[in-house]
Amino acid sequence: MDEAAATAEDHTDDKAGPATGEDKRLGDILLKVDNISLSFGGVQAISEVSFDIREHEILAIIGPNGAGKTSMLNVINGFYHPQLGTITYKGKTRRQMKPHAAARQGIARTFQNVALFRGMTTLDNIMTGRVPRLPDNLFSDIANIFLQAVWLGPAKKSEMEQRAFVERIIDFLEIQAIRRVPVGRLPYGLQKRVELGRALAMEPDLLLLDEPMAGMNLEEKEDMSRFILDVNDEFGTTIALIEHDMGVVMDISDRVVVLNYGRKIADGTPEQVQSNPEVVDAYLGVGHG
Amino acid sequence: MSTADTFPKLLEENARLRGDKPSIREKNLGIWQSWSWQQVRGEVRAMAHGLAALGLKRGDRIAVIGDNRPQLYWGIVAAQALGAVPVPVYQDAVARELQFVLNHAEIRYALAEDQEQVDKLLEVKDECALLEQIVYDDPRGMRHYTQPFLHSLASVEAMGREHLKEHPDYYDEQMAQGGGSDTAIFLYTSGTTGSPKGVVLTFDNLISVSRMSVEMENLKEDEETLAYLPMAWVGDNIFSIGQSFVAGFCVNCPESGATVMQDLREVGPTYFFAPPRIFENILTTVMVRMQDAGWLKRKMFDFFMGHARKVGVRLLQKESVGLWDRILYRVGEVLVYGPLKNTLGFSRVRRAYTAGEAIGPDIFDFYRSIGLNMKQLYGQTEASVFVTMQPDNEVYADSVGVACPGVELRIDDDTREVLYRSAGVFKEYYKNEEATRETKTDDGWVHTGDAGFIDHNGHLRIIDRAKDVGKLTDGTLFAPKYLENKLKFFPFIREAVAFGDGRDFVTAMISIDLEAVGAWAERNNVVYSGYRDLSMKPEVYEIVRENIAQVNRDLAEDSALAGSQIHRFVLLHKELDADDGELTRTRKVRRNFVAERYQPVIDALYSGRDQVRCEVETTFEDGRTGTTAADLVIADAETTAPSGDLRAAA
Repeated sequence: MDEAAATAEDHTDDKAGPATGEDKRLGDILLKVDNISLSFGGVQAISEVSFDIREHEILAIIGPNGAGKTSMLNVINGFYHPQLGTITYKGKTRRQMKPHAAARQGIARTFQNVALFRGMTTLDNIMTGRVPRLPDNLFSDIANIFLQAVWLGPAKKSEMEQRAFVERIIDFLEIQAIRRVPVGRLPYGLQKRVELGRALAMEPDLLLLDEPMAGMNLEEKEDMSRFILDVNDEFGTTIALIEHDMGVVMDISDRVVVLNYGRKIADGTPEQVQSNPEVVDAYLGVGHG
Repeated sequence: MSTADTFPKLLEENARLRGDKPSIREKNLGIWQSWSWQQVRGEVRAMAHGLAALGLKRGDRIAVIGDNRPQLYWGIVAAQALGAVPVPVYQDAVARELQFVLNHAEIRYALAEDQEQVDKLLEVKDECALLEQIVYDDPRGMRHYTQPFLHSLASVEAMGREHLKEHPDYYDEQMAQGGGSDTAIFLYTSGTTGSPKGVVLTFDNLISVSRMSVEMENLKEDEETLAYLPMAWVGDNIFSIGQSFVAGFCVNCPESGATVMQDLREVGPTYFFAPPRIFENILTTVMVRMQDAGWLKRKMFDFFMGHARKVGVRLLQKESVGLWDRILYRVGEVLVYGPLKNTLGFSRVRRAYTAGEAIGPDIFDFYRSIGLNMKQLYGQTEASVFVTMQPDNEVYADSVGVACPGVELRIDDDTREVLYRSAGVFKEYYKNEEATRETKTDDGWVHTGDAGFIDHNGHLRIIDRAKDVGKLTDGTLFAPKYLENKLKFFPFIREAVAFGDGRDFVTAMISIDLEAVGAWAERNNVVYSGYRDLSMKPEVYEIVRENIAQVNRDLAEDSALAGSQIHRFVLLHKELDADDGELTRTRKVRRNFVAERYQPVIDALYSGRDQVRCEVETTFEDGRTGTTAADLVIADAETTAPSGDLRAAA
């Protein structure tokens, strides 16, 4: 109470919204991408791109179609292996990593095209996100299969714990009403939300979102923006996202990296990036007149 | 019966009598959490001490804003225990409406559900000089709010525990000071005209009405209800606090607004209230889902629903039904009605109510025919809900029942306005003496503003707003909305406008429902090119003529309405449309505007001609305007001589 009273004195603005100003707990560098180059045959997808992602920040990767944004995410979570360059994640440097290993180390992602199990319910889809959080060795896997089949002691307890965690996510994303609905029957905007839920179930340190708002209407975009901000705020999750809606990018991100034809052309706060002439040319087109 | 005269005292009584029984439940994180009466007593006390520590005292007003949450119900009772007056506000109220209530009720404290409501309060706080402290329940998203006047409920309860140590007898002292004649609550009525009015209800009002209704409906402590209608509505106050506290039954709060239908199914209430709109939506969902069902299921559904229509209502009314029909109905119960009720969450419903507006007879009979004891009631905030109610076995789709015990009812001879007097009648409109005087007479009669009459069954029928009711030249009552509603309940009729005020007889302009009539035309090989063409088909006229004859037959049964049968009608060549200003955005007919626009048609209806040229400006969907014209056919309708009651006709 006292603390709140003390800080509030600095703020004259007590209108709607949080009264604090900047209160980001920006930390150390969580992930550093160094001099990455990736090509498919003769096609150079990414050339010599370096940037870093700091703890607790929201970083947007933008750029025109074919700029290499999704490839960049795929490199980060180990789906593509770059020919050159290194990735340093939580202090460990590597060039190659398997996606499941990335998942175990706390990198979760969503996809440009929703990639859920369409026949399974929302609840079950999000439950699958808990898998990397289960004990990881062959013996316990076999034991688990047996225990789960007969629904005994430890398996039951584990199931209840996982379910309780998933319920918190369902509550957080306000999708209680679709808990038991197969995701194939859900509208697109909700499927995106379920996908975010599944990524959150992994309790990620780094969350990669590939166009989380593509194909959404304004209201859905507002909802999704709020959820992204809330995830960042409540759980302190670091987020890297690709997004085309400039309004959204400028509103929610702390920092923006701009790619064009596989090269990084700018890196900075939304204001800095917006006023960068190269970005304006690449992204908004060169004015001829 | 107990002597407790306030809700906090009733809570003590319940904690004593049935301390371990559940008082309230809420679904949270997928699991129903419940609180026993004993636990609720503890929660309310903690909250009251906390609010007292914040400075809430006797006579203060505290706004309560949010969805149905146990904590908000407790907040209401905690405030009442301290002698403060809770003022629930509609959770979807926009900032401007909220501001009006906060200022009008001179509110110093607010209890808000979550960030959304807190943001709204903060938005208007500058304009609400008296608002001092805001308490919120759900801390999500509130971490960065550091305003000193914002408190989480948890921190308030912690303050309450300190307060309790210092003042152990405070709660009991405060509670003992409260009495039945004290103000229990302010409820703001929306009011179609002007600013909302704050209805002041006392504990005596609410508790006497709750006791009366619990006794009349024989509600027991093992009832289960679902609290999903707005807390700012008087009904929720009676159903979820009044009756629950008097009878000691359990109230269930849904997980969220979107999950109500699922929660309904999980809870399986024994006692359920919904406005007609909700029953209608449920029925539509059922019908749509049945169309997607397999062939066998569809056939079974159609067959047994047909049978239910034939005998279901009679069985519910305990009338005599043949043995074979009884057996068939039992089979239907196993195969169709039972599973259907189970899916909808109505398996255990002993009493279901609807009120608020007219309910379509088809919808009403659907639910009754599958064995749901659905009844209508008529009430007002000013009456603490109950004015009339349908007793078991005396249920009709078009009436609202007989006066509840302790309610006196009378119809003004001249204006046909319904007046009542009861123990539930409100004290006053807060700070609005003029409105109080206009509504409530010195001897306690309340003007409802609704026109009605007592029908041949002795039941009250509400026909229209009193100000809309007119008279034919011979003095016969003319209630346009009543006629129009009756017409609109037919599937082929989309909109209807009745005329007759100051005329010799009643006529009607009707626009058909393109979808329903179109589907009928397809089935019957009637070829048509569009709306205008379809509306002029003699076959369509014939169907509508039969519909109107049916309405006239119904009207003839009641002496009060027999004179307002529809004599002539016309089918319009276009749908009445909000874009053309003929309807409001909420699809209510703008009577005067329509009358002006279709003046030639109305003249023709009263002139004896059988055709009229009609030209009107129309706004198309792309915003362009143009003129649509047609030669409309005017037809005579079949009328029925008043039956049974020939005295009135003479």
